[in-house]
Amino acid sequence: MMINAATLSASRSASEQARRRRRITRLLTYALLITCGLIFAFPLFWTLSSSLQTWQELRSYKPHLIPAVPQWGNYPHLFQIQPMARWMLNSFMIIFLSLPGGILSATMTAYAFARFRYPGRDVWFIIMLGTMMIPSQVLLIPQYLLFFKFGWINTYYPLTVPSWLGGGAFTIFLLRQFIMSIPRDLDEAAIMDGAGPIRILWQILVPLMKPALTTVAVLGFLGTWNDFFGPFIYLNKAKLFTAAVGLQFLTAAEMIETTREPRDHLLMAAAAVMSLPVILLFILAQRYFVQGVVLSGIKM
Amino acid sequence: MTTAATVSTARRKRWTAMRREAWWGYFFMAPWLIGFIGLTLGPGLASLVLTLTRYNVLRPPEFIGLDNYVQVLTQDELFYPSIARTFYFAALFVPLAIGGSLLVAVLLNSKVNGTVLFRTLFFVPSLVPVVAAAVLWGWLFNADWGIVNQGLRALGIPAPGWFSDRQWALPTLVLMSLWGSVGGTRMIIFLAGLQGVPEELYDAAAIDGANAWQRARHVTLPLMTPTIFFNLILGVIGALQVFTSAFVATRGGPSYATWFIGLHIYKHAFEYFNMGYACTLAWLFAVVIIGLTIIQQRLSSRWVFYYGEQ
Repeated sequence: MMINAATLSASRSASEQARRRRRITRLLTYALLITCGLIFAFPLFWTLSSSLQTWQELRSYKPHLIPAVPQWGNYPHLFQIQPMARWMLNSFMIIFLSLPGGILSATMTAYAFARFRYPGRDVWFIIMLGTMMIPSQVLLIPQYLLFFKFGWINTYYPLTVPSWLGGGAFTIFLLRQFIMSIPRDLDEAAIMDGAGPIRILWQILVPLMKPALTTVAVLGFLGTWNDFFGPFIYLNKAKLFTAAVGLQFLTAAEMIETTREPRDHLLMAAAAVMSLPVILLFILAQRYFVQGVVLSGIKM
Repeated sequence: MTTAATVSTARRKRWTAMRREAWWGYFFMAPWLIGFIGLTLGPGLASLVLTLTRYNVLRPPEFIGLDNYVQVLTQDELFYPSIARTFYFAALFVPLAIGGSLLVAVLLNSKVNGTVLFRTLFFVPSLVPVVAAAVLWGWLFNADWGIVNQGLRALGIPAPGWFSDRQWALPTLVLMSLWGSVGGTRMIIFLAGLQGVPEELYDAAAIDGANAWQRARHVTLPLMTPTIFFNLILGVIGALQVFTSAFVATRGGPSYATWFIGLHIYKHAFEYFNMGYACTLAWLFAVVIIGLTIIQQRLSSRWVFYYGEQ
């Protein structure tokens, strides 16, 4: 009886200890998450806050975390003095002209790698993976020379046409992994019904590939929107700039023209405006996107 | 007689089926194949040939043998330092990026409330375009007016010059790149990996008396090694190609403190129009990257563990 009570209380205190330890771990996790979260969010918050201040306010002795009076006028002002709207529209146009091609050709290639057996397939697949290792600089210079010969400088061809030819090794790889995870029975049932390869791809596989295709589309959008080097070397007329090149142009001008009043608040507004479309897109596609990235990562 | 005929027709049928399959395979692969030949293989070989020439775009290439290589390897004062700087950047960035992403993933994987909110919070910085990130970090860490230095001064801590200081510029770039990537797709992939660890392995370890640390060390970590390896390979390749962040935030300065090989190649190709020389730089750099990737692949068998494979 005595012994029983003792062991009981001992085990109770042990479980109490475990519970307390768990609570401490939980608290620590929260503390770490909140601290890291604040550190990650602060630059974004500060961008917005700076973009709503006057330049005098930004250079005051005691910085204002929150603008004294939000200067909403900074945003229209930015669009007035710089063709920001035009640049963003240009970026959208390049995406509109390249993304469908990238997705289409990558899906086709992935389908070939995943579902057909033919001589050379595995070699081509290894070569395709190998192209991911080649640093972009090696290819950019000769590609630039090629497009220069075509007379494609200051056009959108160099930024859109190549997308229709493959859509990138990583995209193909991701889609191929995804197709491999779809049971072949579905294809075979469709063949029984007399469907050809194109119909199988279009009517059976593509609808099932929605998460993967969404991921690829979001990544493609982000990649093109954020791309700097390509548009920077191919476009040198201000009215053709993309948003990324335009923003760089504003910063560079800011560094050179030091005599005029500072424009940090406008630069911050431009950075915010430029980030907005991709953040919105992510929020809209978040569910599919996370699922798709997860699929790409697990199946390595 | 009849059996021989059926065998041969069956064989022919199989042969035509195989041919048809091959035809379709190449049909679907055609866009990529054209792109590979026209935009990767062709240009790659062309650039290799250009390394043997002097070429400024306006006049036809002039054959000069191995002069470019000799010049890069023996006379270019910026070549070795920029390679070393690029490796220094990668050596700082890649371990911190992988460790940081893993840490965030572990935090998000613990069963706490609000993980979706936190996940979004960590992910959003990775969406900010590098150019925009460079602009906003330049302002955040501005030596005179930046909020970071204002804060440090208020606390009485000596404020470094960040991007405008020779010693600090490169580490500041690393910080900026970490902000823009720790919570991104790499973290999501780690998170998925963590969620994919079979529960029964943890149960088995708990029965064996393993504590939380031992479970993390001997169950989670080994199972995560394939994912870590994948991210290591991509991370190293990406980090060695660092260009845009340095180009926008520091222009390679101050006094070449962030002059990476990517900027060096850019300068020769698109500012001096020394195409042959720039191709030489690019190819030597490519050999380094490819070599490094192969070495990593070789070393991987020592530490990467594939569950379910003997």
